[in-house]
Amino acid sequence: MSSSVLAVEGEGFVSPSPGTFVYPPAFGEGTFVTKPMLIVILGSLAVAVFFFLAARRAAMVPGKTQFVGESLYGFVRNSIALEAIGKPGLKYVPYLATVFFFLATLNISGILPLVQFPATSKIAIPLVLAVISCVIFNVIGIKREGLGGYFKHMMFPSGIPWPVYILLAPIEFVSTIIIRPLTLTLRLTFNMFAGHLVLVLFILGGEYLVFEYGGVVGIAAGTVALLGSLVLTAFEGFVQLLQAYVFTLLSALYIGGALQDEH
Amino acid sequence: MSSHAPDDSSKAESDRAAGREGQADAYGALGLIISGVLVWGGVGFLVAERLDNRLFVMLGLLLGMGAGLYLVWFRYGRQT
Repeated sequence: MSSSVLAVEGEGFVSPSPGTFVYPPAFGEGTFVTKPMLIVILGSLAVAVFFFLAARRAAMVPGKTQFVGESLYGFVRNSIALEAIGKPGLKYVPYLATVFFFLATLNISGILPLVQFPATSKIAIPLVLAVISCVIFNVIGIKREGLGGYFKHMMFPSGIPWPVYILLAPIEFVSTIIIRPLTLTLRLTFNMFAGHLVLVLFILGGEYLVFEYGGVVGIAAGTVALLGSLVLTAFEGFVQLLQAYVFTLLSALYIGGALQDEH
Repeated sequence: MSSHAPDDSSKAESDRAAGREGQADAYGALGLIISGVLVWGGVGFLVAERLDNRLFVMLGLLLGMGAGLYLVWFRYGRQT
């Protein structure tokens, strides 16, 4: 927890704020690495090691790890790639699976005991992934139709009188190149941001009510808040998995759109 | 996108796929309206700064919203 939130003694309860998301260096003054960075590094390692172990001794009769790994990978393959793109989507399952499990792990770090910070609430992480997705679907489209053909198809849909293109072409361009990755980024970031704020508020607020405010009212209200935080933690877990899924699904749909012929 | 659907897919599965495509369309439509307002509202803002007349901001925003809505209709609303 950041010091600004823990400094509640004396002057009443300090509610969590965007400052809650700013961490000092983890190893003391002058060092570089912060807690969100550590979560990203350890989370990536955990995903990599898990899938390495699952795939290392691939056998016809799978062991436990291999079974879990294959089930998880199969979920992305069947429920995201095949349903959103179809057969041509099989080529992109490795990318989609990487994105999904990377994001799911970093999201879930928000409710993991002792870690309890969703690294994806730092906008840089979703942004980088969204830009990668954006580059991928644009490159696919450009490869398929050629540079001119791709932008012609995107910005000048047939069946509109030409003077109207002046009005519409910039909108199509901005919507595909800028708004798509931006909405991917913001949807994930702020879901994680808001969820973390709510959890911090309920847990620290409940703690403050029980231990600092005290009295019958304080203890009763604080207990309700702390019990509520358990329910909210379960709900956050659901939101975190769902948002990882939505991010991956939309990336897949954009890739599918670039692979597709005429609308 | 039904032409790409896996051969062994049941009808329920293709229905679900259609539902997901609809979801993407919803996000796409929202994106088009936002882009319209941003692009032409931005142009309106620049013109307004230039000519020192704030009316152009509003004109740009309305024009962008109209164009965005028209594009949504054109892309998603015409067939059936």
